[in-house]
Amino acid sequence: MAALVHPGDSSALGLMVRIMAALIRISSVCCRGVSPLLFRSSSLIRPLAVQKKDRDCPYLISAKIHATPSSHAGSGSKAASLHWTGERILSIALLGLAPVAYYYPGPAVDYSLAAALTLHGHWGLGQVLTDYVHGDFKIKMANAGLFLLSTVTFAGLCYFNYHDVGICKAVALLWSK
Amino acid sequence: MALLLRTVARQGLCSSRLQLAVLYRHAVPMGTTAKEEMDKFWNKNTRLNRPVSPHISIYQWSVPMMLSISHRGTGVALSSGISAFALAALVLPESYPHYLDLIHSMSFGPQFLAFSKFALAFPVAFHTFNGIRHLLWDLGKGFKIPEVYRSGYIVIALTVLTSIGLAAM
Repeated sequence: MAALVHPGDSSALGLMVRIMAALIRISSVCCRGVSPLLFRSSSLIRPLAVQKKDRDCPYLISAKIHATPSSHAGSGSKAASLHWTGERILSIALLGLAPVAYYYPGPAVDYSLAAALTLHGHWGLGQVLTDYVHGDFKIKMANAGLFLLSTVTFAGLCYFNYHDVGICKAVALLWSK
Repeated sequence: MALLLRTVARQGLCSSRLQLAVLYRHAVPMGTTAKEEMDKFWNKNTRLNRPVSPHISIYQWSVPMMLSISHRGTGVALSSGISAFALAALVLPESYPHYLDLIHSMSFGPQFLAFSKFALAFPVAFHTFNGIRHLLWDLGKGFKIPEVYRSGYIVIALTVLTSIGLAAM
């Protein structure tokens, strides 16, 4: 039933058929491997060619899909991922320190607690800052302030452990009342 | 006419044996990172002085929401407390037992002392138990909504019981 049209046709039908032909050519390229397409700088916008509900041919809607550049995949920095893992490991370590502090109080646990508590708090507050502080300068200032706070905190706790009774003993004394 | 063209197109496209996976083949790399996109959003909107749409002031509060912000709240509070303690250790002239005796000399009633211990133990217990709940989520467990609520209630119950237990010690 297809009407015979020639590419040379200047009619509306001719134009439509040329568009269709182009689409068919694009779609045939699709199936042969498309790695060149991934590196195009402009996004591809494809007109709706077939109704969505067509079951024989689940061909799809115009899609302007953005993806992380494949150059980032793998060769990118794993710093954020490692940070996340570090946070979880530290949390578990801190969880384990609690019973140890109760049953075996002493300087080793005191200093371990000082380090673990300070770092856990530092990373936790860092996440809070990341969530609520925006703007390059403000972020830098906030993180600098946090770094200072954590340094003073760790110094203070170590000082307390060395010159005073120590964290475990302090809690025990506080509770003994 | 349109029907004819659609038929032709359908046949033409189907003959290429397209699969759903082909959709991803048209993915195009973005030139910016997620962080850059987020910064662009904030820069533009603060520059234009745009108001933020109401969110926490209008959304119905739920138990998981409250537990989540409480986890953050207790975390910040505990961290501040530790930092304040460390700062005091560096600045104050006398030793810890000295200040403890000072507090002992102020005769507070036993209920007040028990309540103070409860008030100290509560955030620690809550943050600890909810922290375990978070770690379980990190393992991929307990994301179904009923499970989220159930684990939340367990955390609340454990917190109250533990705080009472610690205050009694």
